[in-house]
Amino acid sequence: MTTTLVTKPEPTVPADHDQDRDTASASVVALAVFEARQLLLQIPLLVFGLLYLAYVGYGLFGRGEGMDAYPVLHDVDRTTQGGPELFAVALLVCVHRAALLNRRRGLEEQFGVLAMTPARRTLAHALSAVPFAVGVAVLVDLQFAWAALRPGAVGHGSLFELAVAPLTVLLAGALGVLLARVLPHPAAPLVFLLAIGLVTSMLPGGSGRHAVDWLWPVVLENGGTSVPGELLGRPAAWHALYLTGLTVLLVCVAMWAAGGRARVLKAAAAVALVAAVAGVAGQAPGDSAGLQAARKAEADHPAKFQTCVERAGSRYCAYPDWKGWTVDWAGVVHRVQAEAGGDAATTRLTVRQRIQEITDLTTDATLPTSSTPGTVTVGTQWGGNRVPEFAVGVARVLVAGSEHASLDMCDARVVTTMWLALATDPTPTDTFRHLRIDDSLSGSAAVLTSDGGSMSVSAQQTEVVRELFREPHDTVAARVKSHWQELVSPHTTTAEAARLLGVKTPKGPDDCPAG
Amino acid sequence: MNTTVSAAGLTVRYGGTPALDGVTLSLTDGVTGLLGPNGAGKTTLLKVLATAVPPDAGAFTVHGEDPATPAGRLAVRRTLGYLPQTPGFHPDFTAFEFVDYVAILKELTDRGGRHREVRRVLDQVGLADVRGRRIKRLSGGMRQRVALAAALVGGPRFLVLDEPTVGLDPEQRMRFRELIAEAGEDRTVLLSTHQTEDVAMLCNRVIVLAEGRVRYDGTPAGLTARAAGRVWSSTERAPGARAGWRTGTGTFRNVGDPPTGADLLEPTLEDGYLLVLDTEDAKHADGTDGTEVAAA
Repeated sequence: MTTTLVTKPEPTVPADHDQDRDTASASVVALAVFEARQLLLQIPLLVFGLLYLAYVGYGLFGRGEGMDAYPVLHDVDRTTQGGPELFAVALLVCVHRAALLNRRRGLEEQFGVLAMTPARRTLAHALSAVPFAVGVAVLVDLQFAWAALRPGAVGHGSLFELAVAPLTVLLAGALGVLLARVLPHPAAPLVFLLAIGLVTSMLPGGSGRHAVDWLWPVVLENGGTSVPGELLGRPAAWHALYLTGLTVLLVCVAMWAAGGRARVLKAAAAVALVAAVAGVAGQAPGDSAGLQAARKAEADHPAKFQTCVERAGSRYCAYPDWKGWTVDWAGVVHRVQAEAGGDAATTRLTVRQRIQEITDLTTDATLPTSSTPGTVTVGTQWGGNRVPEFAVGVARVLVAGSEHASLDMCDARVVTTMWLALATDPTPTDTFRHLRIDDSLSGSAAVLTSDGGSMSVSAQQTEVVRELFREPHDTVAARVKSHWQELVSPHTTTAEAARLLGVKTPKGPDDCPAG
Repeated sequence: MNTTVSAAGLTVRYGGTPALDGVTLSLTDGVTGLLGPNGAGKTTLLKVLATAVPPDAGAFTVHGEDPATPAGRLAVRRTLGYLPQTPGFHPDFTAFEFVDYVAILKELTDRGGRHREVRRVLDQVGLADVRGRRIKRLSGGMRQRVALAAALVGGPRFLVLDEPTVGLDPEQRMRFRELIAEAGEDRTVLLSTHQTEDVAMLCNRVIVLAEGRVRYDGTPAGLTARAAGRVWSSTERAPGARAGWRTGTGTFRNVGDPPTGADLLEPTLEDGYLLVLDTEDAKHADGTDGTEVAAA
């Protein structure tokens, strides 16, 4: 062993009592940074952090086609909340473990005589979650910005919805610290989460359910179609206030449990309690009567709430958030109408955006079918399959005159409709298959339409449509236009349509005879 | 020399049994040894002075700060370096991380300065080469030095060391003595130990504690002098000796009241310590060098 002679240390502990508070605060930050660095080495956090990163990365770089190219931003904002949930649970477990580490190693007494008090150490543990919350906030903002920068993006996101994911991470950190102080056992976080999950799942539904659901940090309410932002009815601001208040309150209680008795701690706890209670009170009531009335009004009388634009002889009416999509709708109308013959080629259409009357954001139902001649219904989603579905919707109105009149089509008009809708599609057969509910190319099936409903296509019609797509486009297009009157007649059978269009007549009995 | 630590009437009871019974002492800069048998109250005294355990009665100050008040306690803790009897570690931390962690808890907030200080103390205890190694991969002696580095970090003015050389091999113990001696040059060091040779080599002052009371408070030379003329050699165990043992030469070394004409030997600190611990002997103490408190 060698002896190392070194210079005498300069006392680095603070000597000036006036600097006590600054020193204490700075040391809390220093410890929080240290603990955050240690958390980075925890396996659960690494695993779930990487999974979350992969999830975000896939969303950013692995998708972007189809409906992802047409995001509705006031839906996108809350879809950012679900991704980091498991990461938050992992953080809860790891922060709990870190806050218990000194106790587990028998270091409480040894470190108890050091200048930093247990209450401040508790605060540092809670603050160690901040870098992770910031990281999540960055990823959330990236997700949202990526969506918002898409040319097809519509709507407006909410800062409060975007704040939920990072606030959830902070809440998880605070909960981990609190559990470490009041339930100092390694299994406490998982037992606690299981208990909470069990209790809430056993709660009955009903009017109070909304209030209970919103006590959870993340309330996604996904599954339904989009509605205008003013009809969402999500108490996002109250919820953000609730999460913020709850997080600060948990930290204060944890510091209290660690011996903190400072006046500023009591004041912070009081303010946090008020904020949390106000948040709960604000988010608890659920959908107001006014909101429900607005939802009904906008669903039943959309024209009152929409703005319309004229494009190439047709009219496009959309809710304000969606007016950017009218150009895309007009493109489809132009393409479909160009394949039609007779008056249909120049018929003035009205494309009307509709929403269903919802009771909550998970409602998913078909839109009402319009009986107004020349009116095409379009929903609040676009891209992917919604484009050919809209093309079918346009085509059936051109062929039958109205959506309502097309409901009982079971004749040559179905063939004509499908031809108009898909004639200029680069891969018509594939798109035809995707439009069919069973993704088949034979037999009878329902084809989806732009109102969320469907149109029946018989086995023979399927066969004829398939054959049409094998023929040269220009040849079929010319025949369609020259036989237009027969092809839009309810008295023309599928077999006759095949003959008129120059494809082989399907074998077997006509399962959809002309009426 | 100025008094840095002053205690009066310190009493701690565990379930009614006194672990400290009215201990009064004062410390100055330099290394003060604290000797005593198991259960004498040494660790309790160190815990009290390190503010880990509040006394049931009595009071003390460190550099004029009274730890009975929160502000005073914080002030004392800011001047304190404490190495407990069985220091704990975070085995997955590196030596550097562990000492850095302690430095943060000591409120060394400037990152650059703190890291320099951590490197300094790790150099000081001879762990510069292994500062990046995880503690679980260090030997027992190295871990003990990590604990000492943690106590030294921040340059505490009052260093409380509870049996730091237990379990160390002679070479490591020698190294520790160097470190403690160096530390005691400009600060107050209270060193609890069972090793009388540690005290003899390191301390300018020694306190002997037994049954929660101070039995001796003075210089090591004074404690050694307590045994002057009371250590002798014999071929058989002397019946009147307070203590006696066969030495390597085959003769007996006896401590106590020698018979007339006995072959007197040069006393050691340990001889004095044994005599001070002896209740009967303490009753005859005359406090020639240092203060002796008669046993009850």
